[in-house]
Amino acid sequence: MRYLPSSPVEDQALLDAIGVPAAESLLAGIPEALRLGRELDLPEGGSEQEVAWQMMGQANRNMRFCAQFLGAGAYDHFVPSAIDALISRQEWFTAYTPYQPEISQGTLQHIFEYQTLICDLTGLEVTNASLYDGGTACVEAALMAVRVAKKRSTVLVSRGLHPMYREVLKTNFAPHDDLHLVEVGLKDGVTDLADLAAKLNGDVAAVLVGYPNFLGAVEDLTALAAPIHAAGALLVSVTQEAFAFGWFEAPGRAGADMACGEAMSLGNKPNFGGPFLGFLAVKDAHKREIPGRVVGQTKDLEGRTGYVLTLTAREQHIRRDKATSNICSNQGLVALRANIFMHLAGPAGLTGLAELNAAKAQHLRERLLELPDLEPVFDQPFFNEFVLRYQGDYAALEAACLKESLLPGLDLGRFYPEYQGCILWCATELHTRQMIESLVEILARVPVLAEEV
Amino acid sequence: MFLRQREPLSFERSVPGKRGMDLPKADVPAARDTRPAHLKRSGFAALPELSEVEVIRHFTRLSKWNYGVDDGIYPLGSCTMKHNPRLNEKVAGLPGFTDSHPMAPDALVQGNLELIYDLQAWLQEITGLPGVTLQPSAGAAGELTGVMLIRAYHVSRGAKRRVILIPDSGHGTNPATAAMAGYEVVELPSLPDGTIAFDDVTDPASGKTRKGLRTLVAELGPEIAGAMITNPNTVGVFEYRFKEVSDLLHSVDALVYMDGANMNALVGVARPGDFGVDVMHLNLHKTFSTPHGGGGPGAGPVCCAERLMPFLPVPVVVRDTVKVGEGEVPRHTYRWDWDRPESIGKVHTFYGNFGILVRAMTYCLSHGSDGLKAATLRAIVNANYIRVRLKGAYSLHIDSPSLHEVVFSDTLQAKHDVHTLDIAKRLIDHGYHPPTIYFPLIVPGALMIEPTESEGKDELDAFCDTMLQIAREAEENPDLLHQAPVLAPLRRLDETTAARKPVLRWTKP
Repeated sequence: MRYLPSSPVEDQALLDAIGVPAAESLLAGIPEALRLGRELDLPEGGSEQEVAWQMMGQANRNMRFCAQFLGAGAYDHFVPSAIDALISRQEWFTAYTPYQPEISQGTLQHIFEYQTLICDLTGLEVTNASLYDGGTACVEAALMAVRVAKKRSTVLVSRGLHPMYREVLKTNFAPHDDLHLVEVGLKDGVTDLADLAAKLNGDVAAVLVGYPNFLGAVEDLTALAAPIHAAGALLVSVTQEAFAFGWFEAPGRAGADMACGEAMSLGNKPNFGGPFLGFLAVKDAHKREIPGRVVGQTKDLEGRTGYVLTLTAREQHIRRDKATSNICSNQGLVALRANIFMHLAGPAGLTGLAELNAAKAQHLRERLLELPDLEPVFDQPFFNEFVLRYQGDYAALEAACLKESLLPGLDLGRFYPEYQGCILWCATELHTRQMIESLVEILARVPVLAEEV
Repeated sequence: MFLRQREPLSFERSVPGKRGMDLPKADVPAARDTRPAHLKRSGFAALPELSEVEVIRHFTRLSKWNYGVDDGIYPLGSCTMKHNPRLNEKVAGLPGFTDSHPMAPDALVQGNLELIYDLQAWLQEITGLPGVTLQPSAGAAGELTGVMLIRAYHVSRGAKRRVILIPDSGHGTNPATAAMAGYEVVELPSLPDGTIAFDDVTDPASGKTRKGLRTLVAELGPEIAGAMITNPNTVGVFEYRFKEVSDLLHSVDALVYMDGANMNALVGVARPGDFGVDVMHLNLHKTFSTPHGGGGPGAGPVCCAERLMPFLPVPVVVRDTVKVGEGEVPRHTYRWDWDRPESIGKVHTFYGNFGILVRAMTYCLSHGSDGLKAATLRAIVNANYIRVRLKGAYSLHIDSPSLHEVVFSDTLQAKHDVHTLDIAKRLIDHGYHPPTIYFPLIVPGALMIEPTESEGKDELDAFCDTMLQIAREAEENPDLLHQAPVLAPLRRLDETTAARKPVLRWTKP
């Protein structure tokens, strides 16, 4: 086994030094009856070449596309080459949580810079070193809001939130008999203000809304904040497409008290849904309730600036069952990818990419609306995703697209019965005019193609 | 090894007008602005403006202040810092995997679904438990999923129950997890070897008595939802009465959760499913060599007994066999099953840290049955070699063979006013990452060393020689240790001020 530093002579020397005849002698602490007593029923190990070929075969059993018009929480963006090159440095990817600051300043300073930039994007004051993904970030935000609000036990969740984020919230709230998740309905593609007003009361700790929401529509945080703050609750914005921060106002400046969500778009590929990058940013007043690792600036013995893990009194290894969360390992290397991405992009890059995404999505929408069987469902400002109703059969449309190696938008009826027959489309900087024309051309011929099938 | 010069914060290097990214030319009309005025992005305050080469140099220089597994032994106990094979990274970067969309129809992602199915099968055989979910993103997420399975089991039988028992030797994530799953934690006392105390334990100093497992089970019985037990425990000792523990808990229908952080000592040697474990998590970033990434991403698959399988998170991957002609090799297709009425629901937005699963699968295929067991045995040999070499110079917590890690304390050095923290910091001056310190909590001044199977005799000897030298330095020149580190990029850092007056981001001066 090439990864084991084994040789007959050295192995024997180790055993002699320990004073046992064989490695198995060291298993004496495991009662005989609890040992396996046979070899694992698994294949033999493979050489690097054999395993590489086997895994390439496996990767090839996934279908590749010329273009994906599907977003829905996992966005395909261009990843600059510098990112893979930098994160391949062993100093970054093989190290662990920076428990010993003097030998981990690289990771610690990077996290401090990452925290600065997440605060910049969200317009808030404090964030952590990352959370797992958008769904679990919503859970941490909701539980934190309940701690901050004190004696309030209801969290309102807009139906415009990513359906899977809502599922993850439901799973994590189920064990808490004393906490309640209540859904707020949609009107014209955004959170229904009348339904919100009806459900806001003195027991509501927080309201979670998508920004933009799952349907691609931007929620007016400022308009939502007024009644929510009047009821003494916190407004939590949930962003599943971090590129939108280059287009829409920072949630912290638009009325949100907390901002959370998914930042995989910053330097990552869709990766079948993970590893992704959860984030949560809050106001300074709430910093001692934030979950997860937080890095702070300090001085060393000689007065030089350095960085350490801080506010650890919130965390599981100190506070055990009274901790703000159980999170330990987070998404460190994905946060590094995002940090490098933000550094390469800079303000001009993020703004420019956002404008390009908006332009491509608007163009896609206009071209699709020229087809007779696609029509608007509601009219809201959007970023790079939007909903159109389709008069035809989604299955036929999907088959026609796949045949041409295009992945169409999402069949919304899967998650929203009220939007049966509607499709959620996405376009990013990766979609050329030519790809959009190919899609339009295929859609124009779907009925004909369906008959051919 | 370290870069000596200071690398300032990138923000301090920013120069207006510089850029590290050129955008593709627009081939569609410019975006019309339909945003309400108050929702238009009003600019950025910190995003730096740097060229690509400046960004690359910045992150390269920062990296040189880190210590990694390729620098040498990384003996963090309980963290299993083993070699991270480059093949795993290469395979996980194949576009067939990285470009695949989590919402794509099942028929288009057969490679991914097959990989998930196969990895689950490997983990089933390794743990002896038939149910597996790969959704949890890390060990703590796995724990939470596992405890939610326990809760769902009890709810299905009438009541969720109130209490989870956790030994005082356990990881902090265990009690934090139980609380997040709505349970009250009752602490189980452990014996000096970290194993669970069956009988009540009286502290000779205070005279205070703590209830042992037998008393707690007798008194709390039907209130106990389960117990979370790390095995081997955090002292590196196998819970040799595990079967008795699980039998006792099962007698009141309480379930047994095993924290699998230390599974690197058991793969191919013993299977939790064979000693009464109902549910457990594995850390793919520990046992299965996926990189730690400076704090993640990891993966925390949960394996469970048959009676918990109905509650596993959705979706569950299913394999269908395609009918073929006689004598032909059967073909399989894979799909997600979302229709699981008793499921606890989703614990991750999609299917977990898929890229990490690809790496773990590659590790499994490279090792095979024989290699997995050889790795376990070598990890145990390495820990015991360190035990015998350092015994005498450092106080050994338990003087008997350990499994994959070995715990010392600073008792012998304390008389020179040298403590665990000083020993750890002095190791940095000698060019090594320190072990885990002050954990487990039941060993005062603990130094918890886990070498893993990756270290050859030369590396182990060099590390042990250094530890022995530090023990001599502690006697002869304790100030060397008190001042350490002096050769790292920074001296000891002021953590108290960092917490009292937190500066958590850069702001423009």
